[in-house]
Amino acid sequence: MAASPPAHTLKVRELHVEVAGKEILKGVNLELRSGELTAMMGPNGSGKSTLAYALMGHPKYKVTSGEVRLDGKDLLAMSVDQRARAGLFLGFQYPQEVSGLSLSKFLWTAYMQRHTAENADSEQFGQDLTKHLGYLGMDEAFLKRSLNEGFSGGEKKRAEVLQMATLSPTFAILDEPDSGLDIDAVKAVGETVAKLDHPGVGILVITHYQRILKYIQPHRVFVMVDGTVALSGGRELAEELEAKGYDWVKVGVISSS
Amino acid sequence: MAQTTEFQPLDYTRYDFKDPETYKVRTPRGLSREIVEKISDLKDEPEWMREYRLRAYEHFLHRPVPDWGPDLSEIDFDAYTYYANPLAEGETKRSWDDLPPDIKNTFDKLGIPKAEREYFGGVGAQYDSGTVYHKIREDLTAKGVLFTDTDTAVKEHSDIVRKYFGKIVPYNDNKFSALNSAVWSGGSFVYIPPGVDAGIPLQAYFRINAKSVGQFERTLIIADKGARVHYIEGCLPLGEEVLVGDELTPIEQIEAGRTVLTSDGIETTVEKTMVRPFDGDLIGITPVSIGNDFQLTPEHPVLCVRREQVAKYDRGTGRLSDVDPKKLQSVSPEFVPAGELRPGDYIHYPINRTFHDDPSLGAAALRLLGYYLAEGCAQVINGCKAITLTFHIEETEYVEEVGAAVHELTGKAIWKVPQPEKHAISIGVYSKELYDLCVRHCGQKAEGKHLSKTIMDLPPEKQQTLLRAYYNGDGNVYERYGTVHRVMTISRQLAFQVQELQARQGVFATINVRKPFDETMPDGRRISHRRMYTVYHQVGKRAEAVQRVGDAFVVPIRKIRRTPYHGNVYNFHVAGDNNTYLVKGFSVHNCTAPVYSTDSLHAAVVEVVAEPRAKVRYTTVQNWSKNVYNLVTKRAVAYEEALVEWVDGNLGSKITMKYPSVYLKGRGARADILSVAFAAGGQIIDSGAKVVHSAPDTSSKIISKSIAIRGGRTSYRGLLHVGKGATGVKAAVRCDALLPDEHGRSDTYPYNEIHEEDATITHEAVVGKIGEEQIFYLMSRGLSESDAIHLILMGFLAEFSKELPMDYALELNRLIQLEMTGAVG
Repeated sequence: MAASPPAHTLKVRELHVEVAGKEILKGVNLELRSGELTAMMGPNGSGKSTLAYALMGHPKYKVTSGEVRLDGKDLLAMSVDQRARAGLFLGFQYPQEVSGLSLSKFLWTAYMQRHTAENADSEQFGQDLTKHLGYLGMDEAFLKRSLNEGFSGGEKKRAEVLQMATLSPTFAILDEPDSGLDIDAVKAVGETVAKLDHPGVGILVITHYQRILKYIQPHRVFVMVDGTVALSGGRELAEELEAKGYDWVKVGVISSS
Repeated sequence: MAQTTEFQPLDYTRYDFKDPETYKVRTPRGLSREIVEKISDLKDEPEWMREYRLRAYEHFLHRPVPDWGPDLSEIDFDAYTYYANPLAEGETKRSWDDLPPDIKNTFDKLGIPKAEREYFGGVGAQYDSGTVYHKIREDLTAKGVLFTDTDTAVKEHSDIVRKYFGKIVPYNDNKFSALNSAVWSGGSFVYIPPGVDAGIPLQAYFRINAKSVGQFERTLIIADKGARVHYIEGCLPLGEEVLVGDELTPIEQIEAGRTVLTSDGIETTVEKTMVRPFDGDLIGITPVSIGNDFQLTPEHPVLCVRREQVAKYDRGTGRLSDVDPKKLQSVSPEFVPAGELRPGDYIHYPINRTFHDDPSLGAAALRLLGYYLAEGCAQVINGCKAITLTFHIEETEYVEEVGAAVHELTGKAIWKVPQPEKHAISIGVYSKELYDLCVRHCGQKAEGKHLSKTIMDLPPEKQQTLLRAYYNGDGNVYERYGTVHRVMTISRQLAFQVQELQARQGVFATINVRKPFDETMPDGRRISHRRMYTVYHQVGKRAEAVQRVGDAFVVPIRKIRRTPYHGNVYNFHVAGDNNTYLVKGFSVHNCTAPVYSTDSLHAAVVEVVAEPRAKVRYTTVQNWSKNVYNLVTKRAVAYEEALVEWVDGNLGSKITMKYPSVYLKGRGARADILSVAFAAGGQIIDSGAKVVHSAPDTSSKIISKSIAIRGGRTSYRGLLHVGKGATGVKAAVRCDALLPDEHGRSDTYPYNEIHEEDATITHEAVVGKIGEEQIFYLMSRGLSESDAIHLILMGFLAEFSKELPMDYALELNRLIQLEMTGAVG
């Protein structure tokens, strides 16, 4: 059966990124496709989160060369908010707190940015929100609280996934949605991500561990080592990494070169 | 960018919405015993009040200005008018329709008559010294509620007034309570009988209309046993435009804290504005660029190079002849009084050297903006935001360029509609993003087109990209003594901005003005042509008239004229040693002629009495103009189990000193003080709270929130006193300050005097910043930087805004948004 071409693509070519003068990404190449769930694994300090922040446009992450195209458009020429409005989403490992800004007001403000003021439909917004809260096992009372303020680790992760669900991005990067969570929370987040796998969205899950991948069934797995994508493969690659550890990849890189 | 200021004496009436003729009574400037007596006479008040005023006046004379807070040494008490009433004393109206039309109009603009119908149980309105309107709903009157202006109360309810007046805030409390006690006029008197709940709030509005007028209202609120009332005061100067950083601003609208450009081409801040009456000839200077024509007083110094310093001396004729370009390069310009300038002298047009790149604006965006500026229209079509542009049918190259830019920015293709009958092609695209981009940076409609500060600050090479597209779209080129490039626009602001952009490119472009005229077409139609500005420069042939010297152009004066003038002239001081600014782009010095200040003074006294079990809430939203000294004494007394709440928001004024206080005199009494300060530019808001616990089991809560931005300064000054015998006291103080940029300042001065050991006192003080990470987080959800900052600020103030009536909360939101536009634009 011939696969139809993906509706959307995010193409990263030879991306070099430095932080505070130090080169972290040393030529990353990868392609994300809509409708696909991709996992990015790798040891601590390999550059996984750097890739996430650089793609979103954090001012401290300086792109020194390379290009990123979202459906052919030059992503790197856009400001952070333009990238978001173009359909890119980043789920933060450590989301910021904003005192006095209720989660519901924030979600609605962000929703209007993504859907434009004319198309934003408050009724649809409310229905979707109720549905997504249900998936995540969250109470409506949650919406009245200040954004991330006093949230537990698990609540913060769920709030990030809730934002992703609300904004329905074209591409979502989730930076370690499972770190610091107990197994039930990992399950809830993982299952929601899987349920949100609505047509069109392409998701990149960045994770150090393999456990969340039990719930989200990635189509593809990338392994980042020392600022480049060292290996890519199917889901079985994740299991192999969990069993053998990352040293195996480093050896593998050397032996294959 | 350059704050090109203009001097247009003939236009003053446009902005002069204060008409001295509207005052039926106005005392002469300054304060004396006679003026205090005059005010008392006008009010025809009882002898005890007259004596009280005079005692207070004596105390005022001897009492020093407080030296422990903000600097008040510039207050000139002789400069103010202490009583100005648009109506005769006692002429307070019960119907808005009975007011003089201009005053009614002012309050209509504030939305007050509408708010009265919808939200409030009673409304008072004060215009300078005069209470022009006061009314209470009949059902409240039936319950025995009294709500009048204080002048009326002195006469009609003298038994109650005399019992409390000056007992909570004595005249000798401080210099400004003494001043108020001497010259007070207006304010509200509220009495709620025992057990009555006034329900819906009572509301008073205050407006200072004239410059250099003081407003001294006196408010007295008494809630008898078990009564409840919510009183709201609004000090809102609507109808005065809020200024943003990228426009050509009439000089009389320049306020302290504004950014202007000095003769060095560097931005600085206006520290003080001044006005003085002038009677004599104004000097009109027309440089070779006619559009840059400006007027000033003869003694006003202008930076210039005299022609005799640079012209060759012709021995044959004994006259000055051609200018020697070498000499022009070597002579330093000097300040010369405008009255001594002659045609042929050179005046100085500095090039703005302030750059600030915005990486989000790439070549494609700038090209699109350039074409939009020339040919574009931002509109909502069928509910969708779109931009459209119209080109000549043969301008396919430009159409392609726009198409490529749109595709690069959004991935969308433009639509094309040829209109052969007009030899035109219309193109467009539906895009909220591009619509917002164009409107944000270039404005809307032909007459409203202008460039944002972001664009004006970009590096010249980026501005060149925009200029090239703009000239492609709107300009034309013709041969006349060299190649002339020109653009035409009906937006005056855009013409001056293009001149400034060209200066950054190293080109002095001349502005010409075509006056508006009506034309009758052959078919009888009449066409009105609007005022048109042409910006042009020559290439290929050195334009000899104007030369570049260092970072400025020297431009010869073509014509000088003198016009008799009688009226006010304006001037301001700027920060730094170089006390210069630009008039229509040309350097002038701060004028050294004598001036008087344009400040106004608001010194109110508010006294609140909460008898046992009463509940009083007093809400203030103060947004005075940035030239008002706001020095207010507010104090309440609470008896057994009573509750007093001050909800106090301070956004406006030049300097505010205000510390709402509560004296807890009965067992179980409570105080709740929530204050907010927002200081931007040169504003100083010194606010806080004072609670005196003098009975057992009393409790208090103080929350202070302050934001200081763009050089604004806030202070929390608090006093917590627990007296001997006041056991079981609970008190909590929390001070949160937010400094969104590097230029604001916030200080905390808490004083505790605790004389009982079992008191439970907590104090927290936090100074926060808006972190880069916080902004990045919100922007990653699609919010623009200014929206992100706005949400963070509104979140910070949420505890306060949720306590406000809806229309005030919306107004607060809007005001902060406007202030932020100036900050990050």
